[in-house]
Amino acid sequence: MAGRAQIPTKSSALIAMIADEFGVVLLCWDTVTGFLLAGVGNVDLRRKTNYLIVDSKTTVKAIEDAFKEFTTKEDIAIVLISQYVANMIRFLVDSYNKPIPAILEIPSKDHPYDPAHDSVLSRVKNLFSAESVASGRR
Amino acid sequence: MMEDQEEKGNAENGIGRQKQVKDEYLLQFLDSLDGYLTLLDSLSSTLSQGWLELASARHAMGASRINGALLDLKVHAAATSLKVSEQDVDSMESQPCFTLCKWASSDNGERSSGEEKSLSPQLRHRNNSQLSEEKVSTRTGTPLILVDQQRQKSLSVFGVLVSPKLRSAQLSFERALETLVEIANLHTTMLSMFEQVHKELENTNG
Repeated sequence: MAGRAQIPTKSSALIAMIADEFGVVLLCWDTVTGFLLAGVGNVDLRRKTNYLIVDSKTTVKAIEDAFKEFTTKEDIAIVLISQYVANMIRFLVDSYNKPIPAILEIPSKDHPYDPAHDSVLSRVKNLFSAESVASGRR
Repeated sequence: MMEDQEEKGNAENGIGRQKQVKDEYLLQFLDSLDGYLTLLDSLSSTLSQGWLELASARHAMGASRINGALLDLKVHAAATSLKVSEQDVDSMESQPCFTLCKWASSDNGERSSGEEKSLSPQLRHRNNSQLSEEKVSTRTGTPLILVDQQRQKSLSVFGVLVSPKLRSAQLSFERALETLVEIANLHTTMLSMFEQVHKELENTNG
């Protein structure tokens, strides 16, 4: 049908994870480990994983590269990213606007979820605050 | 005079219907926003429980048995994956719909029986004979054995005898995954409604 956006359907897509674990080494990877226990871990033939564990040594560039890689891979349907890590690459996350893969910001062990920083919710807030200013002027 | 009154009536009906449509979009958007925030709250609780159980397992089994060096970096496919299908919103728009397929893959590439969680009431299932077989066998209970085998395989990264807390952590994170897929579906609905409301507001201002 003309003008209708096509959604690529997939029968077996992956969940990618960019999770932060800051602090003592032994506690660095709990979120990723938990989801790997739930069976979402994938290692392809090139030994590339569908997750990135972010620690104190991980650079912002590495996080950006991982985000870009996961959001352009065709076999990934959802990207989970700790909100704390998303704040490091906020510009990149906020400028992402494709329906797939869906980007979900999740809390991490040391950083609880803050709705004020959520990419979608802050867009909504901006829209309604702009609208209330405009209607006030009218 | 009669014609003028009729035209005025028609115009008022048209404006009334427009307002009704705008209100409907706004209500759907607010409903999805409320659901999104509620589910995020639920996810936070589930993840907290999972982290606590993982910490308990580490305390019981020792830090050397639960550490990053043990992560499985051999080539393997994800045992839990997603199915993405298209859901019609209206004649001009469609949005993705995610379904979680827990423990439904195996290393040899063949799809073994698993649990398929359909978390959207409006999902249109694709006809897939293999999935139909899985659904039938789920009713007889057989795949639960295979699901348990997959769970055990995932736990075996940390050794043969693992703490019950590690098993509990695994179940908590599985629940978290189910919540995340619900969140993803609400997320797409919310974005879709947001776009509609945004368009309506622009039309009103323009």
